[in-house]
Amino acid sequence: MTKEEQLRIINDTIKKTKYNLKPLGYNLVFWGVLIITMSLFHYFFPQIVQLTYYSSLIYWVAIPLFGMVYTTYYNINSGNKLGYETQLGRVIRIIWAVFGLSWISIVVLNLLHDSNPVQDILFLLSTVLIMSGVIIRFKPVTFGGIGLLIFTIYTYYVPDINFLLVNVVGITFGMLIPGLALYLLKKDE
Amino acid sequence: MNKEIEKLLFNPIRLKTISFLMTVETCNFKALLEITDSTKGNLSTQLKKLNEAGLIKIEKYFQKSYPTTDYSITKKGKKSFEEFYKQLISYK
Repeated sequence: MTKEEQLRIINDTIKKTKYNLKPLGYNLVFWGVLIITMSLFHYFFPQIVQLTYYSSLIYWVAIPLFGMVYTTYYNINSGNKLGYETQLGRVIRIIWAVFGLSWISIVVLNLLHDSNPVQDILFLLSTVLIMSGVIIRFKPVTFGGIGLLIFTIYTYYVPDINFLLVNVVGITFGMLIPGLALYLLKKDE
Repeated sequence: MNKEIEKLLFNPIRLKTISFLMTVETCNFKALLEITDSTKGNLSTQLKKLNEAGLIKIEKYFQKSYPTTDYSITKKGKKSFEEFYKQLISYK
């Protein structure tokens, strides 16, 4: 084997390694649909969700926890099917795992202090989306994050805004649409 | 460069394996089979040699009651590959 052949083998092998972006797109769409559905259900049926003091806490913690279990299971399966984890994949996985833990902390702390966690969550989500978009070099996710960040800052200046509708608008443009674009358009990195 | 490493990476299956492991955190046997385009027996033999030379790490564990093996590159493997690659480039 000549030196040129060795170099060709190295280059060809490295080119074959790709980070599968579809699972990230699927995750964004799944969470987008789940949060929008939950927000709309809460908006139209407050008498059910806010039946007791703790019912909304259970509603906004228990259902997303099931979602986390499902997406964790889905991501492990996708990883096993692919058979390897790239450095890029590891970075994205860690970022979203930290987001998940922060999300739980924000929800519990805000609800225990009787304040609404929507703005804090959307603010955190927007930064995570911007980071993810920049890392995977996919503009719709980056711009979705920037748009969500601007929208979240705007909500701080609007008194008596309905946070459930804020959630619907923010998640649609920050998560659902970029997630769909990622799932359908982006080729693997 | 270490002649032993140079000799070890002269084999295309071993070279493909090390090149692939340089770009991923971990991988399983099935992925390596696809990447190296090799047979199970041949790949197992080459992986054993790389492991004995301290270039790769092999971790065995059970997942849903099935035995699973993960492969990753060691620090020595990374350093050796980088030196090997630099030398290849310098020949061009």
